[in-house]
Amino acid sequence: MANLECSAITKRFGKKEVLKGIDLTIEPGKIYGLVGRNGVGKTTLLSVMTAQAASNEGTVTYDGQPVWENRDALDHLCFSRELNTMTSFGPNNQKIKEYFRLAALYYPNWDQAYADELMKRFGINTKQIVCKMSKGMLSMVTITIGLASKADITILDEPVAGLDVVAREDFYKELLEEQGRTGRTFIISTHIIEEAADLFEEVIIMKDGKVFLQENTVDFLERAAHVTGLEEEVDRVTEGLEIYHEEKMGRSKGVTVLLKEGQTLPRSGEVTIQPISLQNLFVALCGRDSE
Amino acid sequence: MELQEYFSEEKSIYLQISEMIETDILRGVLMEEERVPSTNELAKLYLINPATAAKGINILVDNGILYKKRGIGMFVSTGAKEKILESRRNSFFDNYIKTLIEEASKLGITKEELMEMIQRG
Repeated sequence: MANLECSAITKRFGKKEVLKGIDLTIEPGKIYGLVGRNGVGKTTLLSVMTAQAASNEGTVTYDGQPVWENRDALDHLCFSRELNTMTSFGPNNQKIKEYFRLAALYYPNWDQAYADELMKRFGINTKQIVCKMSKGMLSMVTITIGLASKADITILDEPVAGLDVVAREDFYKELLEEQGRTGRTFIISTHIIEEAADLFEEVIIMKDGKVFLQENTVDFLERAAHVTGLEEEVDRVTEGLEIYHEEKMGRSKGVTVLLKEGQTLPRSGEVTIQPISLQNLFVALCGRDSE
Repeated sequence: MELQEYFSEEKSIYLQISEMIETDILRGVLMEEERVPSTNELAKLYLINPATAAKGINILVDNGILYKKRGIGMFVSTGAKEKILESRRNSFFDNYIKTLIEEASKLGITKEELMEMIQRG
């Protein structure tokens, strides 16, 4: 198992630049969470990382070798994409069984016994036609393919979007089990940040076509805090610190603070200092008024 | 194994993991020289990253509460219970008394009134 590295990736669609110079290193054996607002370029980035789309500039390498048109490198990667059911021709008119047969051919380390076990557990009916399946079932199919691919680096793009809470927990549990068993690397993009926050060893936040932050999730949360109190007191306590998401009401003020190394918040009875959840932190960093 | 509390948002998860294990040792849910759940078991139970669970376990190893038996797992050290009690007693003043006095002074409760309340409780 080796690093997957992106350096200076840019991607334009016509005049619109979606990826504006992405540098990213994915290390073996971790579960990464990729988060960002709609349209920020998550899926585009994941496509470029797995050579399913070409970048305009920059390179993606696996173990030092470019992934583009490189079967040896691509054999280590799996990007299980969300199935689109808008059209009823081509692959969407196939039975699920056929879709799995193709996956088994494509991924060199495919584990059919594991795929069968997961299909049974998730209740996937292999005789169903792709375009007639519910959104939840399609999510289960993409998850099963990602897991059973046994690829060293497996990428799942919003795998839980269509799943109810029980199915989501089922998936999280299986993901942890498989990761613990094999030490595979997973990159998971999601909008359900709060649930997945504890799963990610590292979080990658995309903003404005760039990687805004990549950090160990626990470390990131530990240097963040929400400070509220009388406006002057809050200003005094947070002076010189990195501040996001100011909110004022009357004489009170609340801010989200990201501490840098060596910085601390004074323990003062005059302001309230609270930990902040990853979801709220994300909103503070990437919300409308952060622009 | 108990460890079935829900996480609160107040503290980092790895700290909550180490506190839960400590509490289970104090309550006799986990006995000295007994194996504690592995990081992977904890990860699955709480749906957390194994690295986070390991961080919680490592705090207890550093403090001599748990020790590692190579190839078998983590075990509760002999004398762990006494160690936990001692460290909790030591942090009692910082964690409880200081905040108690802070809140009391905010409410205008005098030291005498506070002493009287403690004696009553």
